Amino acid sequence: MEPLPLPTSLAEVEALIRELYRPFQPDVARIQDVLHRLQKSPEGWQLAQTLITHREDEIRFFAALTLMIKLNRDSASLSEDDAKGLLESIINWTIQSMQDGAGPIVTRKLCSALVTYFVHFSHLWPNCVHHFIYCLDLGRGTRADAVDDALASNILVDKLDRPKLRVAVWFAITLVEEVGKTDMNSAAYSELHTRLVKNGADVVSLLARGLSPPSDNHPELKIQQDALSCYLAWILYGQRANSNIDLLVTPLRQLVDLAMQCFADQQLLHATAELFSDVLSNYSGFFTPEHYSSLATLFDSQWAAQHYEQLVHGNHTEDGIAFGLFLLAYGDATVHDLVKATDDRSRRFLARLSGLLAADGYLVGEDMIFVPALEFWLTYIETTIDCTYSDEEADVAIWKPYAEEHLKAVIMNCWRKVQWPPAEVFAEWDQNERANFGDARKDVADMLQSVFTLEGLNLISYFTELFLQSLATQSWSELEATIFCLSSLSDCVSEEDDRYDEDLAKVFASGLFDLLSEAQGPIPLRLRQTALSLIERYNEYFERHSEFLPNALNLLFAAVGDPVLGGPAARSISTLCSSCRTILTGEAGAFISHYQTIRNRQVLDSLAEEKIILAIASVIQSIPSEDLRLQTFEQLYDILKKDLQLAVQLKSQPEILDLSHPMFLRGYEVTDPQKVPGPQEIALQIALRSMRCLASMAKGMQDVKEYPIDLESDGPQARPVNQKLSGLQTDIMSALFNIQRTFSACSEAVETICHIFKAGFSETEPGPFVFPPSVITDYFVQQPFGTPRLGALLSTACSFVGSLYRGPRAYVPSQLARLLPWVVGLLQTLQVPENDTEISQNGICFVDKVMAKYPDVLFQLSSPQLEFFFLYTIKVLQGKEPLPKSASADFWSNFISLKPEDPSLAATVSSAMTHLGPLIAQTLVSNIGGNAARSELDKLSEPLKKLVTQQVQAQQWLEAALSDESGGVFPAGERVSLSERWAFVKKVIGLRGARQTNQVVRDFWLLCRGQNFAYVS
Amino acid sequence: MSLCQNRLQEERKQWRKDHPFGFYARPQKTPQGVLDLKVWECGIPGKAGTIWEGGLFKLIVAFPDEYPTKPPKCKFSPPLFHPNVYPSGTVCLSILNEEEAWKPAITIKQILLGVQDLLDDPNPESPAQAEAYNMFKKDRVEYERRIKRVVRENAAP
Repeated sequence: MEPLPLPTSLAEVEALIRELYRPFQPDVARIQDVLHRLQKSPEGWQLAQTLITHREDEIRFFAALTLMIKLNRDSASLSEDDAKGLLESIINWTIQSMQDGAGPIVTRKLCSALVTYFVHFSHLWPNCVHHFIYCLDLGRGTRADAVDDALASNILVDKLDRPKLRVAVWFAITLVEEVGKTDMNSAAYSELHTRLVKNGADVVSLLARGLSPPSDNHPELKIQQDALSCYLAWILYGQRANSNIDLLVTPLRQLVDLAMQCFADQQLLHATAELFSDVLSNYSGFFTPEHYSSLATLFDSQWAAQHYEQLVHGNHTEDGIAFGLFLLAYGDATVHDLVKATDDRSRRFLARLSGLLAADGYLVGEDMIFVPALEFWLTYIETTIDCTYSDEEADVAIWKPYAEEHLKAVIMNCWRKVQWPPAEVFAEWDQNERANFGDARKDVADMLQSVFTLEGLNLISYFTELFLQSLATQSWSELEATIFCLSSLSDCVSEEDDRYDEDLAKVFASGLFDLLSEAQGPIPLRLRQTALSLIERYNEYFERHSEFLPNALNLLFAAVGDPVLGGPAARSISTLCSSCRTILTGEAGAFISHYQTIRNRQVLDSLAEEKIILAIASVIQSIPSEDLRLQTFEQLYDILKKDLQLAVQLKSQPEILDLSHPMFLRGYEVTDPQKVPGPQEIALQIALRSMRCLASMAKGMQDVKEYPIDLESDGPQARPVNQKLSGLQTDIMSALFNIQRTFSACSEAVETICHIFKAGFSETEPGPFVFPPSVITDYFVQQPFGTPRLGALLSTACSFVGSLYRGPRAYVPSQLARLLPWVVGLLQTLQVPENDTEISQNGICFVDKVMAKYPDVLFQLSSPQLEFFFLYTIKVLQGKEPLPKSASADFWSNFISLKPEDPSLAATVSSAMTHLGPLIAQTLVSNIGGNAARSELDKLSEPLKKLVTQQVQAQQWLEAALSDESGGVFPAGERVSLSERWAFVKKVIGLRGARQTNQVVRDFWLLCRGQNFAYVS
Repeated sequence: MSLCQNRLQEERKQWRKDHPFGFYARPQKTPQGVLDLKVWECGIPGKAGTIWEGGLFKLIVAFPDEYPTKPPKCKFSPPLFHPNVYPSGTVCLSILNEEEAWKPAITIKQILLGVQDLLDDPNPESPAQAEAYNMFKKDRVEYERRIKRVVRENAAP
C-alpha cells in the first residue's frame, strides 16, 4: 500500500494523531508510519515542544512519546547546555501536566521521558530523585545543580501534597524498571547503574511517606498501592545489583515494617501479600531473621486466623488466594527450618498449610489453593528426605515424628480431594476443569511416591486399612480414591519384594473383586475402571501369588466387551499374561474359548482384540510340551485363518456379504458414518484386521528367555524337523501370500507381513513364525518392483540379514547370493534415487550389510549390476537426499577400508578402488566444497578419513578433484584460491583420519560457502 | 546447586504454575524414589484440528550437564512414525540443535510446543527416517492413514 504523505500543517499532524488513537482504526500501520517519520525528522524536537502544551491528552501523550524517541535517537547531537535546558523543560511540562488536569497517562509518559533523559544524561542529573522531589516542591523545573542547596529529601517529601507525591512515586518506579532493563554488566551502562544505586536513599525517603497510611483518613489508597509496587521493583533491582548491598539493600530493608503495616488495610491486602510473596520466593535473603520472626508473629495473629478461615471456607477471590500464596511463600522460604521445627508456633503454621489442602470446593475449578499448596508440600517432603539422609540419626529422631504427623494430615486431605465429584457435578465441568482435575490427581500420585521414600510399608498398610474401611461402608468414591492411591504406589513396590504382600493380599482377597464380577453389581463404572487398573499395576504381585490370577483375569475378560473398560482391560490382560505366562500355561485353552465366546457375541475394538491375541499367544509360547504348544497355537490360528479365508472369499463373491452376521461386521469400521462401505472394502478390512491379529500373535510367540547360539552348527538341517511345525509354517506362509495376492494394491498388508517376519527374526528357537531362511528368501525374491511398500520390504530384508548373521553360518552366503541381485535389480528399476528415498536408502544399507561380512558375495554380482551399483551410490552421494546420501557415505567408508583376506578378492577390490577412487574423491570434494548441507558434513568426513588412511593415492585424487576450475567438480573455484585448497588437503592428509578432520572439513566448507553461512550465536 | 539443577528447578516451578492444555511434563523418579531432574517424562497431545488430534505421545527429555548451554535431547518413546523423528525416537528439530536455533532462554514449554507444532508440520528439509519421510512425500493418503493408526494406538486417556 502507498505510504501516506507527510502532513504539511500542525493541524494535519493533530488530526493524524487523533486518527491513530481512534478505536478500531483500520489504517493504524500507515498512520503510525507517517507519524514515525515525522518524529524521527530533525523537526521532531520542535514538534514535541509545540504539542506538549496541547489541551488533548492523546496529543500530549504523543508529544511525550516523541521526546522519548528523540532522546533515544538524537541525544548525541545535543550540546551540554541544550541538554541541561531540556531537563528543566521536561520537569516543567510534567509539573504543569499534573496541575492543569491532564490525564495520568500524560504525566506518567512524561515521567518515562524523564527516565529516558536519565538513561542518556545520568552524568548531568546524578541525583535525579532528590532533584525531582525538589522541583515538585518548588512547583517548577530548575537546573540539576540547584539541588546542592536544597533541603534533605526526607524533609522535602514531607512537604509534598498527595498529587505531587504520587508523581514522584511514578517516576521512581519507571526509573528502576527502565534502567533495570539495560545490561548491568556492560561497560556502556555501568556508570548509569552506579548513579541509580546512589539514588536509593532518596527513594527510601520517598517510600517511607508513600507507604505510610494517610494522616487524615482521606483515601490515599492509590499512592500506597503504587508505593508497594515501587518498593518491590527496587528490592528486586537491589537483588541484581548485589555488589551494592550497603548503599541500596540496607536502606530498603528499613521499610519492611512499614510495608507489613499495609496488611492492616483490607484494600491493600492483595498488593501487600503479592509483594511479600514475590520477595520471599525470589529473594528470601532480603528479609532479616527479625523480619521472619515478625512474619511468624503475624501468621499467629487473630488477623491471620480470620483470613485463613475465610480462605479455607471458599474465599478464593484474588485477596483470598493472595493471602494463601503469601503463607505458602513463607513456608517455601523457611522450609528447611520448618522440617526440623518442633516448637508450637511452627507446628501451628504447618497445620495451617496442610489445612490448605482441605479447603472447601472441588478441585481445581473451585478450590484454587490446593495445587500451589501441594507444590509446597512436595518441596517439604523432598526436603524431609534430604534431611533424613544428611542429619545425624539422633537429631532426625527428634523432629521426624512431628514431620510424620504433618504428612499424615497431608495424605488424608489429599485423599479426600482426589475423590471424584458426583456424576451430575462432573457433567457440568468443561474440558479444562476435567483435565485440571486429572492433573491434580497425578500431582497427588507424585506426592505419595515421594512419601513412600520416607514411609515405605507404613504407607501401603495405611491405604490397605483405608481400603477395607471404605469397602465395609461401601463408600464408593472413597474406595476409588484409596485404590487410586494404592495404584500410584505400584512402581515403588519393586519387583520380587514380598514385604508388602501381606497387605496387598488383604486387598486382592477382599470382597471387592467378587462384587466386580457381578455384571449388574453396585460398583460404579469409575471405581470398576480404577480397580481393574490396580490389577494391571500390581502384575508382579500376581506373578508371586498365582492363586489370585485366574480370578483377576476372569474379571478382565468379562470387561473386554465394555466400550469404556474394554481397552484398558485388554491392556491389563496382555500385561498380566505376558509377565505371568509360565504360570498360566494351563489356562491357554480356556482363554481361547473366552476369546471365541466374546467374538461370537460382539465385534471387539480392533486394538483391544490385538492385545488379547498377543496375551493368549504369549501364554501359548510358554507351554513346555512342543506338541501341546503347537496344538494350542493351531486352535487360535484357525480362528484367524477362517477370517482370512472369509476375506478372500468375499472379495471374489461380494454377494455373500451379510451384515447381520458378526463375522462380516468385523470389517465394518465406522470411520465415516455417511459412507457405507461396499463388500470390497469390508473384505479388505476383515483381512487387515486379522492380519494385524496374526502379527500380534507373532509378537506374543516371541520367547522372553535367551538361549545360547551355536554359530558353527550346520544350520537347521541338523535339527529334527517337527512335521506339525513345518505344516503350520507352510500354511501361514500360503495364507500371507494369498492375502497379498488378493489385495495386491494394499500397502498395509505388505507392512503387516513385514511385522510378522520381523517378529520371527529375533527368535533363536523354532516356532511357527520362525520360518526357514530359504522360505523368507523365496518370498522376497518373488516381490517385483511394483509391490506396494517396497521400501518396508527392503528394510525387513536388512533385518533378515541381521538375523542370519546371528544364526549358524552355514547357509548365510547362499541366501545373500539370491537376495543381492534382487535388491540391486530393484535399484536399477528405480533409477533416479530421489524417486523413492526409502528404497534407495534401504537398498544401499542392504548391500552395505552384505559387504561387511561377505564381500565375496558382493563381487559375485554380474559386472553390469556391480558397476551399476557403484555408480548409483556415487550418484546418491552427489545428490540432495540426506537419508540415502548418509547410507551411501557409510557404504563408501566401509568399502574404502575393505581388506579381504582372500588374495584374489583383495586384488579385485584394489583394482575397483583404482577406478573408483578418483570418482569418490570428486564427489567428496564437490560436497565439502559447498554442495553439501552443513548437517551432512560429519557423515561425509567419514569416507574422507578412510580414504586418507587406507589409500596411498588419496592425496593425488583429492588434489586432482580440487584443481577443477570448471565448477563441475569443485563448486567454489572463484572464491577459494589454489593455495587454500592445497592447505586443506595438506591438513586432511596430515591428520591421518583423526577426529579433528571433521573440524577442518567444516572450516573449509564454510570458506567455500562464504562467511555469511556462519550461524549467528 | 549447579546451574543446570537450578534452571531445572525453576523450569519445574514454572511448568506447575502454567502449562499448555493436555500436556504433561515431570521429572522421572529414580528407583529409590528420588527425583531425577535431568530426565523428564513428557506427554505431547496432537493439536486439535489436525490428523494428530486425540493422540498423546510420550517424550523423554534428557538434559545434559551443560544445560542450558546445550540443548536437551528429546526422544519419543516408543519411536514415532514421523519424517523428523529418527528410528531411535530422537526428534530432529532446529531449536533442539546446538548448532542451529538452540538458545539457553528456550523453556521446556517452548520445546514441547515446538515438538507439537512439528507433528503436523514436518520439515521435509531434514528427514530423519526414510519410511515416514518417503510416504509423506509420495503418498499423502497412505501417510495420513498411518498417522491415524498411530494416533489410535497412542490415544489420550
